Amino acid sequence: MHASLFITCYNDTLFPETGRAVVSLLERLGVELDFHPQQTCCGQMHANTGFRSEAYSLAKRLVRLYADVEHIVIPSSSCVAMIRDQYPGLFEELGNDSLRREFAAFLPRVYELSEFLIDKLGVEDVGAYFPHRVTYHASCHGLRGIHLGDRPFRLLAKVRGLDLAPLPNLDRCCGFGGTFSVKNAEVSSAMLAVKLQDVLGTQAEYCTALDNSCLMHLGGAMHRQYAGMKTIHMAQILASTESAPMEALL
Amino acid sequence: MATLSSRENVLGRIRQATASVALAPDTLAAGYASIPRSYTRKGSLSRAATIELVLERLRDYDAEVIETKPESLSDAIHRVLAASGRRTFVVPPGLPPAWMPPGFEWMIDRGLSHEQIEKADGVVTGAAGAIADSGTIVLHHTASEGRRVLTLLPDWHLCVLFASQVVETLPEYFARVDLSPALVTWISGPSATADIEMTRIKGVHGPRHLNVILVHDEA
Amino acid sequence: MSHIVEHPVLDPRLAPPFPQAALPVLRNPQLRKNVAHAIDVIQTKRGKLIHEKTDWQDLRSAAAAIRTHVLENLGAYLEQFEARCTAAGGHVHWASDAAEARQIILDLLRQEKATEVIKIKTMTSAEIQLNPFLQAAGLGVFETDLAEIILQLGNQEPSHIVVPALHINRSQVREIFAKSMGRPELSDDPHALTDAARTYLRRKFLDIPSAISGANYLIAETGGVAIVESEGNGRMCLTLPRTLITLAGIEKVLPRFDDLEVMLQVLARSATGERMNPYTSLWNGVTPGDGPQNFHVVLLDNGRSSILAKKRERQTLRCIRCAACMNSCPVYRQTGGHAYGSVYPGPIGAILTPQLMQMHHAQSLPYASSLCGACYEVCPVKINIPEILLELRSQVVDQERHDLGRFFDPLYLGLRAAGVILSRAWLFHAVQRLGRIGGSFVTRKDGWIHAMPSVGGKWTQTRDLRGFPKDTFHAWWQQNRARQSEKGAK
Repeated sequence: MHASLFITCYNDTLFPETGRAVVSLLERLGVELDFHPQQTCCGQMHANTGFRSEAYSLAKRLVRLYADVEHIVIPSSSCVAMIRDQYPGLFEELGNDSLRREFAAFLPRVYELSEFLIDKLGVEDVGAYFPHRVTYHASCHGLRGIHLGDRPFRLLAKVRGLDLAPLPNLDRCCGFGGTFSVKNAEVSSAMLAVKLQDVLGTQAEYCTALDNSCLMHLGGAMHRQYAGMKTIHMAQILASTESAPMEALL
Repeated sequence: MATLSSRENVLGRIRQATASVALAPDTLAAGYASIPRSYTRKGSLSRAATIELVLERLRDYDAEVIETKPESLSDAIHRVLAASGRRTFVVPPGLPPAWMPPGFEWMIDRGLSHEQIEKADGVVTGAAGAIADSGTIVLHHTASEGRRVLTLLPDWHLCVLFASQVVETLPEYFARVDLSPALVTWISGPSATADIEMTRIKGVHGPRHLNVILVHDEA
Repeated sequence: MSHIVEHPVLDPRLAPPFPQAALPVLRNPQLRKNVAHAIDVIQTKRGKLIHEKTDWQDLRSAAAAIRTHVLENLGAYLEQFEARCTAAGGHVHWASDAAEARQIILDLLRQEKATEVIKIKTMTSAEIQLNPFLQAAGLGVFETDLAEIILQLGNQEPSHIVVPALHINRSQVREIFAKSMGRPELSDDPHALTDAARTYLRRKFLDIPSAISGANYLIAETGGVAIVESEGNGRMCLTLPRTLITLAGIEKVLPRFDDLEVMLQVLARSATGERMNPYTSLWNGVTPGDGPQNFHVVLLDNGRSSILAKKRERQTLRCIRCAACMNSCPVYRQTGGHAYGSVYPGPIGAILTPQLMQMHHAQSLPYASSLCGACYEVCPVKINIPEILLELRSQVVDQERHDLGRFFDPLYLGLRAAGVILSRAWLFHAVQRLGRIGGSFVTRKDGWIHAMPSVGGKWTQTRDLRGFPKDTFHAWWQQNRARQSEKGAK
């Protein structure tokens, strides 16, 4: 099984350990991974702020970069949602027939990480060990954008030693929303405060999710408040084994 | 004239806005007919269960509901009126005389003023139908159901409903009604508001007391 | 009234931008609690009913399809409505904009020599700012919806389209009623308050011969008008007076009477979490001897036809004003309605308001969303609100691209620059290195950034940011995994 890793611009820059975890995990499961050195960004930040032509350029670039790849694995639901939900409209409006054909061939090969594990590899038990109390945060893009459903829970259920604390109001947005977090910083913070009440109330040690975007927002507030909880991308939980435990960086 | 040109302005803008999608007049009906409707049209409950359901829903609304057979209807009406402690009732002109037992003051509406209706203790009417799923009583304001003001001003309403008039779902009601009536009132419980702290208060305007006699007229 | 927010401006032409307008609300615990409580009540009730309604998704599909069909054929259906309504004894008027609609209504009332008018709640009348206009012309205007009375007597603005006074609690209502109804003895028990309103209104219903209503639906096939309500004040206003004027947006049409079998099922469940609201009234024109004998409908455009013209945005007009979107919105939950500076708040307001203003005003509203998608999930007519928000954002950016003021906005600059940087891997990598170096100046000993300048400062107001790691992922891959075959550039 071959797969190409699209790390995403913000993971590449800010959360390389998530990428390392994905590599460790997939290699352990027998996947031959490659990494296109020219990759940059899916264009979501631009599309969501209204910079459509910039988003289109980046979208076109990404599709062309991965023209000949079997599977593309992306450890970020929001980037996958961008590709599935917004690329069609962008290419309809700004692209041409040739590009739309390329996209049609490209689209079915795109997988979010948990989709790749469960749907493509057919595994739920990835051999992980993470003896901590953990709560799972469902990012909106994962929940409503690409409909991950119970995939994250099925994976977490098989992690040895993990004590899963259910998060109340699971479907309520954490308030990150991309540039919303700075354009409407105060409202974003109000939503964060409310979400944090639920998250901290689980008394978990870690809050995990399939998107570092939400985790950056939640974790940033936890750190500011000395809240006694840390965030960790699920890839790092799944990569963690008894012999090679992987904690979030301090 | 200003209004005339507004009409042309607005319609003109609308036609321009929908030029690429609007159907030609002779295909409009077909376009309407092709709207997909996969929602539940006909209910799945038995007749008995449907009647059970409408009674349950009405009682949930704090309506006083009693059941009777056709031959005992007059007695049932008498009992309900007597228990109400009220004396003066307005009634629509087409109400069956058998539904107006003696011992009470009957004001038949042949053009009563609002002030006169305001003085009545209650109103007695029939109904056009009922929908069990939502506990809705439907009035078409015919001669036996009365002008709309009759069931609006008095504080107490007795509605005589026949089992054969009850359907389970809202689409079934619409299926039964051939032509749209000129007047319809759908009543699902007494008037209510939740405007103050979402506390549900019943009986703001309109009758605060709803009584229903369900007549089992089906086999 | 220490807890009431200063008088918000619900005119999109004058209202402050959303981030600014939201600030006083965010600092008001009572208001936030009132809003959250109201929303929770409706959402809980709605949730139970949706769960029970096994054909809910089918109803949504049908409702969306019916509304789409109407909008695509709006001209034909409006003309049919006009013909049938007129044949049934009603009079139909057309208003291009708010000013025309106001004048038509005033003229009709003057014809009747009306000095007072009773009103059923209609957001459309708030949209055209009807009340102050009629009052300035010397007419007494009396709202009859409990929430609208509270707002009118308390001189406040609505903050929700179904439960307009949800931001006000019982003791605040008591204060308003005690003062304006001259009832100092009034308790704050909602029963007592509601009873006070009932008494206050009874004579008005019986004595005032002119009424103004909105419309939930116009039925083209019959020329009928349907009004969906809970309190009974609607029935009062459309039964007792001699003159009834119904103001309705042109988009309110349904093709046939039977279409109510879909719309009535989705509306009450979405709006108030009930299977059916207490009273729904329908009337076709004038019925001799029953109800108003002088009946007028005023059809309002006021920007709707320009929305109709846009393929992607047309779905905005499917809206049936149920407010399910704002009840599900995590942003609205924190800010309430006033922050949107419009009589239409929440997710629908964020797309409808700027469009009604032809994108000349309310440009901050399409950004008043984290794009979580909860609204789209609950909308009974399947309006893809997130999609339209994004479309409107790109329109705002296109408008502002050449605006010199925008040119110096750090976020704009940053995004324009990022567009260039991200299109070339080598440039991206170079900027990452620069970023790491720059970041190191603001990274504290704990490895985190606690304060950043400019736009970054909006982040660090309430959140830390973990310092830039020493190696990017791609650098790590190059060192540890890259094979010869990949080292060639594409």
